[in-house]
Amino acid sequence: MLDKFDIQIREEKEHAVIETEGYLNDALGEQLAEKAHELIQNGYTQLVINLEKTSLINSIGISILIEIIEVLTEREGALNFCGLSSTQERTFRMMAIAKYAGIFPDEESAVANL
Amino acid sequence: MKDPSKPTSEDSLQADKTQNTAEQTMERLIFSLSELEHLGQTVISGHSNFNHSSKTYLRITLGTLQVTRGTILRYHPTRQNLEVVASAPDAVFSPLAVEPDEVANLLQHPFIERAAIPESLEQFFTRSAKLIETIDVHLWVPLKIQDEFLGLIGLGKFLGREALEAWEKELLTTLAHQISIAIAYSQMVEGIQSEKFRLFMLAESAPQICQLLQPEAAAEQVVHQAVSLLDANAGALMLTRPEQQQLEMHFTFPETLVEDIEEHNGLVIPYGEEVSVPPEATSADVLKSVVNEGIPGHCPPKSDTLFGGKNLMAVPIPGRDGDVLGVLVVGDKEERGGSIAPFTDEDEILLDSFAKQAGVAIENAHLHQEALEARQLQAEMEEARKIQVNLIPDMLPDIPGYEIAGHYEPRGPVGGDYYDCIALSTGYWGLAIADVSGKGMQAALLMATLRAGLISELSRGDTTVVENGEQDTPDPAVLYTELAEMALTLNSLLYASGTEEKYATFFYSHLNPETDILTTLNAGHNPPLLVRADGTYKWLGEEVGGIPLGMFPNDMVANIADYEAEHVQLASGDVVVYYTDGVTETVNIEDEYYEEDRLVEASKACKDSGAEAIRKYLHDSVMGFQGEADQFDDLTLLILRKQ
Repeated sequence: MLDKFDIQIREEKEHAVIETEGYLNDALGEQLAEKAHELIQNGYTQLVINLEKTSLINSIGISILIEIIEVLTEREGALNFCGLSSTQERTFRMMAIAKYAGIFPDEESAVANL
Repeated sequence: MKDPSKPTSEDSLQADKTQNTAEQTMERLIFSLSELEHLGQTVISGHSNFNHSSKTYLRITLGTLQVTRGTILRYHPTRQNLEVVASAPDAVFSPLAVEPDEVANLLQHPFIERAAIPESLEQFFTRSAKLIETIDVHLWVPLKIQDEFLGLIGLGKFLGREALEAWEKELLTTLAHQISIAIAYSQMVEGIQSEKFRLFMLAESAPQICQLLQPEAAAEQVVHQAVSLLDANAGALMLTRPEQQQLEMHFTFPETLVEDIEEHNGLVIPYGEEVSVPPEATSADVLKSVVNEGIPGHCPPKSDTLFGGKNLMAVPIPGRDGDVLGVLVVGDKEERGGSIAPFTDEDEILLDSFAKQAGVAIENAHLHQEALEARQLQAEMEEARKIQVNLIPDMLPDIPGYEIAGHYEPRGPVGGDYYDCIALSTGYWGLAIADVSGKGMQAALLMATLRAGLISELSRGDTTVVENGEQDTPDPAVLYTELAEMALTLNSLLYASGTEEKYATFFYSHLNPETDILTTLNAGHNPPLLVRADGTYKWLGEEVGGIPLGMFPNDMVANIADYEAEHVQLASGDVVVYYTDGVTETVNIEDEYYEEDRLVEASKACKDSGAEAIRKYLHDSVMGFQGEADQFDDLTLLILRKQ
């Protein structure tokens, strides 16, 4: 359901998972960035972003994801993505996101490979 | 090396005592050069997002110039404001609105001192009072590359001195230039990333949507991809209905947008008339114009509320034949930070290219759907034909003193012709012929319903049997009433059948072979032809024909044309020809109808033959008339001949 958007955070001992729902545009992207920065401020440098419920992303959403990667790279952290559609995965590879962040089919493997 | 950006109290005291000593100046210059190198490296290898790096730039600037407070503001031309991207001390400020003439004035001044604010910029700095007060800004430096305004640096109180020296101002100019390059670089990287994304999405999405075979799924993907491609936050697909000259809404994003559109009666927009697009055009006017002229259109925000007052861009979706299949609409192009930007010429070209692919996808999906429906219809027709054929008797019974022959011939799409001859428990015979409306499975099921209802009614008993159990000549009045009631029951049954086209013309004959009385009831069917042995003829049920079964509820039937029965006395050699309209409406290559007159002549010509020979003669007559012409209705004949 692309009409609604939401962000869920699951904080674990060593990592945190951010799950998005809806169109990853400026509105949802800014919320995502804010949550990610809060987690980083709180010491989480191992993050997983689950995009299973986000089938649509625009260029602003992509730029926000790149920024989160940049911040985490600066802090020698790690970011893995999961739940991507095949188009999203190709987009992430083409935009070089996959060069700096892992892409995994499900949350379990994304967490395991942090 | 000691970091001058972190002065100690001892340093401050010393600075007060011995300002600008050669040694201190040299030390700061060396620090500045190393920081400039650091800044340059940050610019070329740093983050794509300037806002993220801006704190580093501010720290270097303040440290180099020995200032403890300061801020960097980034200019957003589409939002016409300055965003505070870094400040020392760190604080959150609202963006500062800046008018175009103020931007032009800011570009005129390399430095703007707090004590000498130009009159033309007084309002701007008055609006910025909170920031100026918090940072205690003493000096402003516009950030620019050539004539492009990029932002501002604001510097607080200078440590140990009232103003910057000339060489410090030169250093500040160099720093400002480096920061301007960083902003321009960031903009360029953001632009390249965005264009790369859009081009990839355009290349990626086109083949994907062309593979979608369901029209609904194709429509949804077309809208979603267009919204994503254009960084829009809304979209819609409207398709044309050329016969009605209307645009019809097929999909919106978000889906809740359709409720707004429906509220403003925008789900269907007529486009037939040429529409000039005045400056105050509504979004409906723009969409009409896009279809009529086949070129993109724009609708400024707040022009109306049809699409929630969004800034719209619409492009035609071309079909293979060059006609316009529909209109693809996107609304409100987003910018980072929540502002809405106008759609550009490049956006229009991009959406136009995508719409061409969307046209192929939509046509593919519709062609696939049509092929699927045709295949399903074909399969349904075959099933329906089987059902229909099974309902028509293989053999007709022997009626003492009579000959009977029937013929059913499917021609074209499955219709709903039916005939039957049913032996009643009382020794009478029920002869029925019907033509149900519609075609395919629906007609076959309606026919099955009619037949089941008829048999059920006929087997309910017979009030024409006298009390002592012996069969007697029925009272015509009682039989008339029974047949009328039966017709009402069948009418009610078909009316309640729930199918869309749920009526049937029906003719029923109740034959008493003992008395040779044929009691008939007509419900909108072609009157059967009675040809007497002497060659005279009459149409049965012509005068008292009721309306077809299932067309209206029973309580309305009486107001329109009640079902009434009548009877005729048959004599030796009389022939009754029952038929459906497939006989009289058979056309020849001259587009002439066979009509009732030819049926009369042919029937008279063969009346002295047996029933089967009459059937064959009439069939041959119709087929001979038809010749090579195509027929679209079934041909049914039922012949009853009194020996």
